[in-house]
Amino acid sequence: MEETDLELRRRTYALFVEHGRAPAAGELGDADEVVGGWRRLAAEHALVLNPGTDELRMLNPFSVVPTAYRVHAGGRWWYGNCAWDAVGICAALHTDGRIETSCPDCGERLAVEVRDERVDDESLLFHVLVPAAHWWDDIVFT
Amino acid sequence: MNLFRSEEHIARWLGGREPGATITAAKLADLAVAWWGDRLAPDWRPHIREENQAILERVGLTGEFWALA
Repeated sequence: MEETDLELRRRTYALFVEHGRAPAAGELGDADEVVGGWRRLAAEHALVLNPGTDELRMLNPFSVVPTAYRVHAGGRWWYGNCAWDAVGICAALHTDGRIETSCPDCGERLAVEVRDERVDDESLLFHVLVPAAHWWDDIVFT
Repeated sequence: MNLFRSEEHIARWLGGREPGATITAAKLADLAVAWWGDRLAPDWRPHIREENQAILERVGLTGEFWALA
């Protein structure tokens, strides 16, 4: 991966974390060049773009779009792509946080506090449906 | 990749689909810290497959299901 693409990724994440929203390509430089860099980063699984629009979809572990996993951390609400990413947002920000979601089966509200890299309700279960070898076949489904 | 209250909820949600893998929320926390902890580091570089596989193994996730592509 080229250093220029790594720098683009760093600036993309920095703006996202600073403002709590995904930057448009034009905020980071020449839009065509930025989109080209994002495409190369997406090919390396360093971020995820919306197919067809080249807008940011995931800055893993953050989701750019609303999901079932809301995370309050660092004084702001975020969305995680899944439960793993929701806990990962606290890990990436190196801060405590609160995850709010609901049981996919019954809809019961589930809230988890993350303190010092631990979750307060360790009786909850995390289910991974897709085997690891196929996670990137369809990362949005995974 | 979802959170559930119990195995019964997972089974109902699967509705006959082949189950994947289930781990505790405690292990999920270990996994999340190891996997995502460096994501905002200024010197972050993409993990190669072997690095990611090592993270999974370090938190006890081994076997065919957890073998990365």
